[in-house]
Amino acid sequence: MNKDLTQAALKFSPFHNRTSRACRTNSWYRWSGYTVVAEYSTTELEYTATRNGTSVMDLTPMYKYEIKGERAKEFINYFVTRDLSNMDNNTVAYVIWCNEEGKVVDDGTVFCLNQNEFKLCCAVKMQTWLKDSAEGFDIEISDVTDDIAALSVQGPTSCSVLKNYGATDLELLKPFESKDFIIDGYKVLISRTGFTGDLGYELWTNPENAENMWDSLMESGKHLKIRPMGMHALEMVRIEAGFIQTSTDFVSTEHALRPVRMRSPYEIGMGWLVHLNKESYFIGKRALKEEKENGTTERILVGLDIEGDKPAHGAVIYNKKKEDVGIVTAALWSPTLKRNIAIASLMRPYGSKIKEDIFVEIYHPEELEYKKIWATCKIVKRQFYNPERRNLVPAELY
Amino acid sequence: MTKNYDVIIIGGGHNALVCANILAKKNKKVLICEARDTCGGLATNDLSNFTPDFCSKVKSEIDNIAINHSSVSSIALSETGHHLKLTGKEAEDRKTLEQLAPEDVERYFKLQKKLSLFSKTLGSFMHSSPPRLLHKNFSDYFKLFKLGLNVRLMGRNNFNEFARMIGLNIADELEDNFKNTLLQGLISHDAVTGSNLGPRSPGSLINLLFRMANHNNSLFGGIQQAKGGVNAVIKSLEDNVIKRGVEIKTSSFVKRCIIENDHVKGIELDDGTVIHADTVISSADPKSTYFCLLGAEHLDTDFKRRVKHHRSKGRVSKLQLTLNKVPEFKNLESTELSQRLVISPSIDYIEENFNYSKFENLSPEPILEFSIPSLEDDSLCQDGQHIMNIQIQYAPFNVKGGWENKKTECIDNVLAILEKYAPGIKSCITGQDFISPNDIEKNFNVTGGHWHHGEIQIDQLFMLRPIPGAAQYKTPVNGLYMCGAGTHPGGGMTGIPGKNAAHEVLKNI
Repeated sequence: MNKDLTQAALKFSPFHNRTSRACRTNSWYRWSGYTVVAEYSTTELEYTATRNGTSVMDLTPMYKYEIKGERAKEFINYFVTRDLSNMDNNTVAYVIWCNEEGKVVDDGTVFCLNQNEFKLCCAVKMQTWLKDSAEGFDIEISDVTDDIAALSVQGPTSCSVLKNYGATDLELLKPFESKDFIIDGYKVLISRTGFTGDLGYELWTNPENAENMWDSLMESGKHLKIRPMGMHALEMVRIEAGFIQTSTDFVSTEHALRPVRMRSPYEIGMGWLVHLNKESYFIGKRALKEEKENGTTERILVGLDIEGDKPAHGAVIYNKKKEDVGIVTAALWSPTLKRNIAIASLMRPYGSKIKEDIFVEIYHPEELEYKKIWATCKIVKRQFYNPERRNLVPAELY
Repeated sequence: MTKNYDVIIIGGGHNALVCANILAKKNKKVLICEARDTCGGLATNDLSNFTPDFCSKVKSEIDNIAINHSSVSSIALSETGHHLKLTGKEAEDRKTLEQLAPEDVERYFKLQKKLSLFSKTLGSFMHSSPPRLLHKNFSDYFKLFKLGLNVRLMGRNNFNEFARMIGLNIADELEDNFKNTLLQGLISHDAVTGSNLGPRSPGSLINLLFRMANHNNSLFGGIQQAKGGVNAVIKSLEDNVIKRGVEIKTSSFVKRCIIENDHVKGIELDDGTVIHADTVISSADPKSTYFCLLGAEHLDTDFKRRVKHHRSKGRVSKLQLTLNKVPEFKNLESTELSQRLVISPSIDYIEENFNYSKFENLSPEPILEFSIPSLEDDSLCQDGQHIMNIQIQYAPFNVKGGWENKKTECIDNVLAILEKYAPGIKSCITGQDFISPNDIEKNFNVTGGHWHHGEIQIDQLFMLRPIPGAAQYKTPVNGLYMCGAGTHPGGGMTGIPGKNAAHEVLKNI
């Protein structure tokens, strides 16, 4: 047989023995060179676990970089637009970073392990960009994607699950904080972070502990409605939470073939992460300052509340059913909110100043025929779902 | 608290001095900080044999330089003794060529005329800041349009020729035109000298045009020997700026620029002294300016990539010999030894040399350009002894085995070649001083040790010089400018970068 066919082209995550056994649909998803589960049993059940119990998702394929050195903090602060000069040990920050034109390269999370050691997690391969950015900083950057096994444990009962698992006093951990634990004799870093908009945690450990960790978690959550979650359900919860996704809601500068497809932070609702008054320089600062001062931002990313119940996947947005003013980047009928929601990119002033008379043209498939629906919509905050428990300290226990 | 200056210039090369002169004339209080104990930088007798005379456009803006220049001829040496001497004066050159290369005479003058027109056309663009296209400024577009128009106005035939030749290699053009290999070798030598190109490398012709633009648009005219050498020119420039009230601090190595809120606020010297000024002009090379003086933390990633990729590795070494008597060259008058002598007998000879340097080796038979300037100018004698300045083309920045081990080999190769043309020369030598591109980097603080602070090639010229996004003598940081050979139009002791930079600075302060 052809040798190429006998060898796997995609990498297996350290959880593969467990996830593949749990995956009853044999439905897989390609993520950064790994194969991960798209759907274990039914997407709706997995979604419901996140909102009503606890879901466990394999996060290993997320690109992870370790940044070490005496100037590591200075570098991170130069690398991202957000002011991290006061970042404390054992905290996490959501960040974006830009190129010299002030267009977004990617978004991700920075973990401050100590003042000379940071970890960056992101969706796009960043080794070259990081290395070239670090020119002149004398720091060490290494790709540790394959060296860390990561799980996302999310949902209202997640804190209780993790306490059963062995994370003592976890309920006291604040959002965007992290803490080291020794559980069953191995080290686990637990951070109160996630991509679901709910109470939730992310667990980071050495790959050799992966299977033990998975088994212990499933055991700990036996009576707390625990369930592994695939990528399809993740897409549902992240839209409800209003989180943006690289390559879906915007294109990374590293991937955009046409310069006009690159987006500034102000165009994808990330303006709040751009700290122009940061004392030191950061990549793209000059360009972003100019954009802000001259008001040359062209687009805006908004949340849409659409009439009806037909999700507006890829729909075109019109002003008064005439002028084409934007496109839906992600859409969902939200089972929790019972609302037809979407994230959309609009040409300003639509979405910023003009918020009336916006229509979505939805093509809804009905047994080999498309039904065209003109739906009115309201421009709303992108964060559709934001339960109080998400940020409560101490976290809710069950 | 230190005194405040309007402008601080980092480095005291000739461009810095020209720049300071123009600024001081406009009543700006200027301080020059030079790391070495003398001004001049790479413009020193130790490195440069000849200078082009500053063109009238530079001269008219600075104080008079009280130096006598004499024109220098170029002599291509031949092992057979049939040396080819070209002066740049048509009548004389015609006579010489009719004797040595009768078939090439007409074509030579035709080529000279054509190249002269091209260099003049491109040269007209050298005296103002290059346009910055991304800024969508009307006058910038106009400038580019004007260049295009000038090129087009040369006439249809010339325009077509220009388009054909601009990316061409010099070897193709010369082989199409000339039979005489010595003539081919001499012109090719001037096309590749100081560069990282061989005669068969595309783009070597533009290097020749650049050289011609700095030498009265002539192939061999416009090469000058100043009385007292390059040092005297520098001394005169220095005296003039001091008279204008410019302060010069020598032995003052600038460690870094002080930046606050994206605006330069002054400089810090090696010894920790801080001097304030709202305008700082760096005459250092682009890599030193950006990575050492400014600091990577003030630059965008894409910008740093461009700086890093800036080609600036030198390929010319220098050997200075002290001679107790004038050596005898076959078929050469001793008076002719003060002229520009070139050992580069054919295109293939150069290309072979280039191949050695390409793979970081030394050529056993190097290309030499040399002269004994002290024959004409007593002031250049050292203790009654003559000095011979030799420039070795294609002795690269990186050499396999390292320069510390290869220096002797390089000198031996040079002397072996010289011995062929001047038997017995070795016995006249009483002293020698060798400077590799590596030494230039270390001793003169020029990254890569390149004469022009960066290759003169189409992707590093005009608005692309030193790098895209930093034309017009500006840097991304407010108040920090550049005026060295790394900026438009480039090196070659013309003073034009310094002059243009001064005007750009005056526009903004």
